[in-house]
Amino acid sequence: MTDDKQATPASADAPIEQQLYAIRQKIQPRAVHGVFANWRIALVLLTQAVYYGLPWLQWDNRQAVLFDLAARKFYIFGLVFWPQDFVYLTGLLILSALALFLFTAVAGRLWCGYVCPQTVYTELFMWVEEWLEGDHLARKKLDKSPWNANKLRRRGLKHLAWIVLALWTGFTFVGYFTPIQTLGAEAASLSLGPWETFWILFYGFATWGNAGFMREQVCKYMCPYARFQSVMFDSDTLTVTYDSSIGEPRGPRSKKTDYKAAGLGTCIDCNVCVQVCPTGIDIRNGLQYECIGCAACIDGCDQIMDKMGYPRGLIRYTTENVVKGKYPDAGIIKHVLRPRTLIYTVLLALIAGAFVYSLATRVPLRVDVVRDRAALSKETDEGMIENVYRLQLINMDGQPHRYTISAQGIDDLEVAAARETTAAPFQTIDIPVSLIADPEELKGRSIEVTFTIQATDDPRIRDEVATKFFNR
Amino acid sequence: MMQRLIHILWPPFLVAGVADILFTTLFDPLEILYRGEPLIEHRIAAYTIGFFVFWLLGIASSMLTCYFQRGADEINRCPLPPRNRPAGCPKREDEDACC
Repeated sequence: MTDDKQATPASADAPIEQQLYAIRQKIQPRAVHGVFANWRIALVLLTQAVYYGLPWLQWDNRQAVLFDLAARKFYIFGLVFWPQDFVYLTGLLILSALALFLFTAVAGRLWCGYVCPQTVYTELFMWVEEWLEGDHLARKKLDKSPWNANKLRRRGLKHLAWIVLALWTGFTFVGYFTPIQTLGAEAASLSLGPWETFWILFYGFATWGNAGFMREQVCKYMCPYARFQSVMFDSDTLTVTYDSSIGEPRGPRSKKTDYKAAGLGTCIDCNVCVQVCPTGIDIRNGLQYECIGCAACIDGCDQIMDKMGYPRGLIRYTTENVVKGKYPDAGIIKHVLRPRTLIYTVLLALIAGAFVYSLATRVPLRVDVVRDRAALSKETDEGMIENVYRLQLINMDGQPHRYTISAQGIDDLEVAAARETTAAPFQTIDIPVSLIADPEELKGRSIEVTFTIQATDDPRIRDEVATKFFNR
Repeated sequence: MMQRLIHILWPPFLVAGVADILFTTLFDPLEILYRGEPLIEHRIAAYTIGFFVFWLLGIASSMLTCYFQRGADEINRCPLPPRNRPAGCPKREDEDACC
């Protein structure tokens, strides 16, 4: 495009690229021990015991939790859901969203710090990394070292372990959607179907990539929640906070120095909080959207404070109003109750109540009616008008049932074919039904009629569907 | 480049997931007929193909968004000779450096 084409050395690329898009510096966080690290370990173990274990659990001779996509049925313990029950999935999503809003308003990004799969798998992968490649210093050294036998062996082992973990995760994921015991047998005999194989590899690859390489970038660039979580925050929200009122002015000093006399705060500027941060930020610059609320810096800082003999809590869970001096830390509990949290709680309780009520009173029968499109209506030999329908009946109960079919809407309306039918547990049946009416009773071109399907053994199990009856 | 790739690939991935769930909940893929025959014989196959079709459509849309985001400065001929262009200018090297 330019007349003056000048060859630039390739090395000039790097700085320019850096200014266009901040090139990611690989973060090797330093491992940390403490109260919050223990919480995270506990929650990683708990969530993963549930995730990896749940598909193997049996219930009534079937998988307890199975989202059987091929059969379009979702089994959750004693309950079975059909696509028609989509409203429950919507309800569940709304409940989850409200719970997330409530937790966020009270204590910030608890989800991100302790239970988000991105955090959990990154944590698992970092345990493997620490085990096979050593601590953060050894890993940094290994990053810089040229490729030799040692590096190849360490990296190879790490990736092998990661890939095994990722494949197992992918296998478990697919096991939620297709029966896992069959899947396991198929995997063992190397006879997996192409689509199952694809999804195991795809999910495994995503796990490997996200937990092994992308890590904090997923939170920073890909996570929608990270972008909007701050709207749930207010000045009374608990967040991981560096208390500059006690930390500043920061600076190195000997342990023996009386820092108060020297005019210093308790921050010794050791940078541990930065070294342990999985997203590579400096919490002392204040609340940032990159902060996933993992509290690693709290654990790290508390260790240093202990060593120095200073009080803990320079970095701690606290609120903006506490740091501003509006109330002491003891007042945080009292400020949990405020309009925002009360509204979330009330909404959550109402929707949860409606959800449970609706599930408890759910009638285990669902009928849809489909008109025969070829012939709207026909005249019988006796001069009556006949309409043919197809009823799709789903027995959502664990028991077989016998049903009677009746129709209302026109005087002397007669159900000609299939006045009764039976359905096995969780069976969907299609039944052709014809309605016959006397033309003298028909007023108008189309008349509203209602089918009533009633279980013979249980008066509560009934469903009504409306449709149209067409005159000649 | 990595971030631009994320911008193009990731939002459609999220949307494709939601679209696939909504679409396959409303319609049983086995009932989608093409000239009287089911278009796809296995549901899992249909869900998978559906997801990737939605994803591809979204990717096309995101790519166009990125493409149209280019400002006039990026499209027009640059008045400065390459070495005088400010650091960070995508046209500093040659035309390939842009985007």
